[in-house]
Amino acid sequence: MSSEKPLPEQVIKQTLPSQASQNSVAKAATIPSELILQIFKYVTSTADLKSCILVCKSWCRCGVELLWHKPVLNVRESLIKLLVTLSRSTQTFPYALLIRRLNFTFLIEHVSDDTLKRLSSCERLERLTLGGCRRLTDNGLLKLLDKADGLVALDVSDIENLTDAVVELVGERCRRLQGLNVSLCKKVSDKGILAVASKCRSLRRIKLSSCDIITDQSVVILAKNCPHLLELDLTNCDQITNKAIQPVFENCTQLRELRLACCTKLTDESFTKTMPSLYEQLRILDLTSCALITDQTLLKIAHSAPKLRNLVLAKCGNITDEGVYHITRLGKHLHYLHLGHCSRITDHSITHLARHCTRLRYLDLACCTQLTDASVFELSHLPKLRRIGLVKCALITDQAIYALIENRVVQHTLERVHLSYCVNLTVPAVLELVNSCFRLTHLSLTGVPAFLRPEVQRFCRQAPKEFTPHQRQVFCVFSGKGVKDLKQYLNNTVITQQRNRITNGVGNINDQVVGPVAAVNAEIEESVVSEAEGVGGDISEGGEGENENGHNQDDNRSRNRVSDRNPEGEDGDVGNALLDF
Amino acid sequence: MTSESSEVKKVTLKSCDEVEFKVEIPVASRSILLKNMIEDVGETDQSIPLPNVNEKVLKKVLEWCQHHVNDPQPTNDDDDSRRRNTEIDDWDQRFLNVEQDMLFEIILAANYLDIKPLLDIGCKTVANMIKGKSPEEIRNTFNIVNDFTPEEEEQIRKENEWAEDR
Repeated sequence: MSSEKPLPEQVIKQTLPSQASQNSVAKAATIPSELILQIFKYVTSTADLKSCILVCKSWCRCGVELLWHKPVLNVRESLIKLLVTLSRSTQTFPYALLIRRLNFTFLIEHVSDDTLKRLSSCERLERLTLGGCRRLTDNGLLKLLDKADGLVALDVSDIENLTDAVVELVGERCRRLQGLNVSLCKKVSDKGILAVASKCRSLRRIKLSSCDIITDQSVVILAKNCPHLLELDLTNCDQITNKAIQPVFENCTQLRELRLACCTKLTDESFTKTMPSLYEQLRILDLTSCALITDQTLLKIAHSAPKLRNLVLAKCGNITDEGVYHITRLGKHLHYLHLGHCSRITDHSITHLARHCTRLRYLDLACCTQLTDASVFELSHLPKLRRIGLVKCALITDQAIYALIENRVVQHTLERVHLSYCVNLTVPAVLELVNSCFRLTHLSLTGVPAFLRPEVQRFCRQAPKEFTPHQRQVFCVFSGKGVKDLKQYLNNTVITQQRNRITNGVGNINDQVVGPVAAVNAEIEESVVSEAEGVGGDISEGGEGENENGHNQDDNRSRNRVSDRNPEGEDGDVGNALLDF
Repeated sequence: MTSESSEVKKVTLKSCDEVEFKVEIPVASRSILLKNMIEDVGETDQSIPLPNVNEKVLKKVLEWCQHHVNDPQPTNDDDDSRRRNTEIDDWDQRFLNVEQDMLFEIILAANYLDIKPLLDIGCKTVANMIKGKSPEEIRNTFNIVNDFTPEEEEQIRKENEWAEDR
């Protein structure tokens, strides 16, 4: 742990752990440095740790390594001050050598080639995160990496200027490299990857997402030279063919994560012919838009990788119910399944899926246009379901939403629900969903006519910048606070509507003002009035002036009322009430 | 379970001030040091001397071991999650609500006896005492002498100016 370079004498002098505690000496001052270090590991705030190093010399020596091990750089001023310290001619400690990890995630706009040049004395860097620092060029990177012999993990993703020269230097210098992320570095070619693959034999994770000029050659040599690979990301590397996949399956026997999204040339052959009969360690497989694969691939995968946890098959248009039946072999191991745009699948296979893969947490069925409420009925029994995507499953009705709630299983787990373009949904059903699922943090209702109203849309998130005016008009996504606000608004609206109706019941003159409410079934009208009488009683008990109390009671009451009633009554009653308002 | 507990084998521990404690083996085995010793030595009537722990502290530590006798043994992969969690449960908080010298004695003993969970909560307690304090307040809290020269202190302050929470 301690740095090998000698530290200045006066600071190095260590307090000796005393055997018998001297009467006047405080116990704290006798604690050996290993235990001070242990205590400092629980001092999680940088400012507190800074205070600690200013207490005394022995605390300083213990704390300074922790403080500099992974400098927390959240603002530009911190970075500038840190660079100033590193440029000082006399330093109490060899600070640059204490830095092991640097992460610029929060300063991507401020990191320049000059920044990296000033950091080039950090020769003991182990982890360097520069993803998204788009101002950088090879100049700065070459300077910093030239002495980074001990680098274990490097993230230079999304630095568009980066070329093979940097990747080749990494291969030359960083022989201990275990993780490399060059995603979106579109200039990186086979030349760079070959250098890394032939020198960094202990590579475990490599992300080449959108490095779209690389070919099978890169993948083949990576597979052959780096047998310890755990993670391989080839998303959007659309020159990759079946020939690249074979050596991966043959050599990388520890691979846990394989991402092949948009490798559009891949066919069933990649799997059916080359995947070993047992490839048990695989947990994550992404085949998004590998549109040529068929149910045959799924048959093979389900047998070879029985413990697969995440499977992404979005836009694999050839997949049918048969393929989904194969997947159900994965049983409780499957946690995450994306079948978006697999429009051939039907309620039959989804029913089967819900009954076998009972630990599903994430399920996306967007644009599976044949699915009906029957699928959702089955899925509502999944005890761990956190996220369900039903975008453009236009046959879905309110019944599906009520089923989700009524089974009282998913209402404790659901966090994200995507219902955009489920055009049949109405306000009461969604209100009940929002009221029941207390963990709900995300709800999308884009293009659902019942919600395309300004008074509801004002709680929704801002539409993404690139959206067209029409897209903005129908955009309706609630997240975080937005969900809460929506819930409050809808509930209040129902209450106000009730009140109006009560007033209405008393004085007939108001009939015309409230209009359509008059058309509401007389039976329901009656029950509302009698309930309202109850509320009145409560309020008088607690003191009439207390508005807030009254409100809360109303709140609970309306919720109970909504959930007690059957869905049909709901549509006629609260739905109309909301629309009127 | 209760009928068995009367038959639980015991071991004798001797503090540095020559006081003997008869302790049930599962309780003593919360200490990895003692657990290994007992396993190595096997059954014996001889007491195990603990030259680094006095009676008062040993009594306190054994009280903790007794209360936590049925806790699962900590594993190494817990390390990170323990570190992130700075909370201490109620009983332990009350247990560590002692004079500062005793708190550090307990930490030293937990380290010597290799009782990780006790060491952790002891260290967390001290870390919580540091939270939000200036260097001078920390010195006062723990009665630590500032052995920096003003120049040294000023230089270190400057060199570490970057470290602010925002």
